[in-house]
Amino acid sequence: MTLLRLPSATAPSRPAARTRTRRGRTERRPRVLVAVTALFFALLYLPIAVVTLFSFNSKKSLTVFGGFSLRWYRAFVHDDVLVSSLGASLRISLVAMSGSVVLGAALALGLVRCRTRLGSLAGLIMLVPLITPEIVTGVASMLLFKGVGVDLSTGTVMLAEITFSISYVTVILRSRIAALNPEVEEAAMDLGATRWQAVRLVTLPALLPAVLASAVLIFALVFDDFVLAYFTTGVDPQPLSVRIYSAIRFGVQPTINAVGTLMLAGSIALIALALFIPRLFGRRGGLDILSGE
Amino acid sequence: MDATPAVRLDGVSKQFADSYAVHRLDLDIESGHFYSLLGPSGCGKTTTLRMIGGFSDPTDGSVLLAGADVTALPPNRRNVNTVFQSYALFDHLDIAGNVAFGLRRKGVAKAEIRRRVGDMLELVQLGGLADRRPGTLSGGQRQRVALARALVNRPAVLLLDEPLAALDLKLRRQMQVELKQIQREVGITFVFVTHDQDEALTMSDRIAVMNDGRIEQSGTPEDVYEHPASRFVASFMGTSNLMTGTYRDGEVALDSGPALPVGARPGISDGTSVSVSVRPEKVWLSDFEPGMSVLSGVIRETVYSGPTTTYLIEVAPGVTLSVLEQNTARARMEDRWSGGETVEFGWRPEHCLVLV
Repeated sequence: MTLLRLPSATAPSRPAARTRTRRGRTERRPRVLVAVTALFFALLYLPIAVVTLFSFNSKKSLTVFGGFSLRWYRAFVHDDVLVSSLGASLRISLVAMSGSVVLGAALALGLVRCRTRLGSLAGLIMLVPLITPEIVTGVASMLLFKGVGVDLSTGTVMLAEITFSISYVTVILRSRIAALNPEVEEAAMDLGATRWQAVRLVTLPALLPAVLASAVLIFALVFDDFVLAYFTTGVDPQPLSVRIYSAIRFGVQPTINAVGTLMLAGSIALIALALFIPRLFGRRGGLDILSGE
Repeated sequence: MDATPAVRLDGVSKQFADSYAVHRLDLDIESGHFYSLLGPSGCGKTTTLRMIGGFSDPTDGSVLLAGADVTALPPNRRNVNTVFQSYALFDHLDIAGNVAFGLRRKGVAKAEIRRRVGDMLELVQLGGLADRRPGTLSGGQRQRVALARALVNRPAVLLLDEPLAALDLKLRRQMQVELKQIQREVGITFVFVTHDQDEALTMSDRIAVMNDGRIEQSGTPEDVYEHPASRFVASFMGTSNLMTGTYRDGEVALDSGPALPVGARPGISDGTSVSVSVRPEKVWLSDFEPGMSVLSGVIRETVYSGPTTTYLIEVAPGVTLSVLEQNTARARMEDRWSGGETVEFGWRPEHCLVLV
């Protein structure tokens, strides 16, 4: 789909910019750095920009822009198979997000609190899914479901996605839990809370920003996951990523551009949400999605 | 006075791996007292406090609160509250929410919670900060919140784990006075863990000096300071000019040479190796009385610190005494002694402690 040519105007034609530093000296900003940076962003975002642009194309062509129209969005809305796939993907993402956050948070709490040799072994094994090639986990999951006689469906995708998302949640939350002051939970118990109440009333609220951040991350990862979904999904409905892949095999429809643009908008909304979360908790500074800090 | 001690530890031990953090500790804390556990770090004082609070299970022995055995009870079922060293405030709750936490767990009526939280915040002078978050408060204010959060539950005993350690010196002094006032006002038994002997002396009704998992001595601040029962207590409580020698017939022949008249000490037999201790402020530099031990020595160092001056006087080669004098007698700079001068000094025999 990258049929576009890079515009020759990537490098600025004006003379090297001069910036005044605080000490009053002028420093030359090398032109080549500006050019490399511009090239980097162009390579990164131009394909996406093209998809977005052509999703508004009035023609069926993928190379010639014929004018603005919402034709392909209308086509998407009326394509029952694609819409049901979007629904399936949203359901899968929501279920996988909730399941893996609950299980991952419990695992993280357990790993931090349990300081036996078995506990540190579990902490290492937990990391394996992060480095295993996804194709291996995909095939393994499929073989497992076949082996125990479970028919592949949206449900099996959910199970597989939960299983392999737990590690991400645990990695994010474990460092946060380790950084918590253990005296805070003791203080809650000192003030009359049972062990479980102390976790619910004190520890979890303290972890909430990191929990929400990991939830957003898992949702995004699962929503556009292809490999695992491809191996574990049933026939109808298929997750959106699998559906698009199948559709492309029979020739690319511009409807895909519209779907891609909608997914992009959704991702941007999620990231904005993740950045907004810390403000809800009265924290200054942004939120690092990966560390939850 | 209530005959049943508020806290009783009965042969309590805590063993970690193969060493004892606390070893067969017996302890009675009288109801309404300000009781300090004083000792260097690692002496077992915090472990003792955690066993009273229920955060640490004794390996042996029992913990009694107001006569009832609570050894097997978790913290939430003991009528004690704790002020933690880190304050351990709940950052996601405002100040009022922090203070109300314990009352909510007990299911106290909302109107009463509001009233008691309000009263308590007044008591610790945080009346206007009820809706602030802990993160926006200063160290001193956070300390008060931690205190209010514990006291509002009206525990039988309040446990304080070095609560002033994180404050700067001036604030610490101020909080010492305030804590003592609050304790008198509420009449609750305070068990206070500290490594700062000044703090323990100024605030406590009783002090237990701990070392190596055991209590070396317990008593009133005056007892512990004036009549230390061991070399450890004498050296841990302030400066003490410890010298070693041999007791014989009312005198101690110091290993370094001179003999000090110390008065007859029944209970110490002749020929016993002893340590002699004289507090720096008990040494006189002039106006000696009859019966005093008077020695002479050379001033090696003069340390001026405002109201007082400390002289380091060499008595014999390698033996130096520290002498503290109010800057009253020699108020003017030119009257004070300087290094190299030979001076006479002495003390009353009863101020000279002989420790076996």
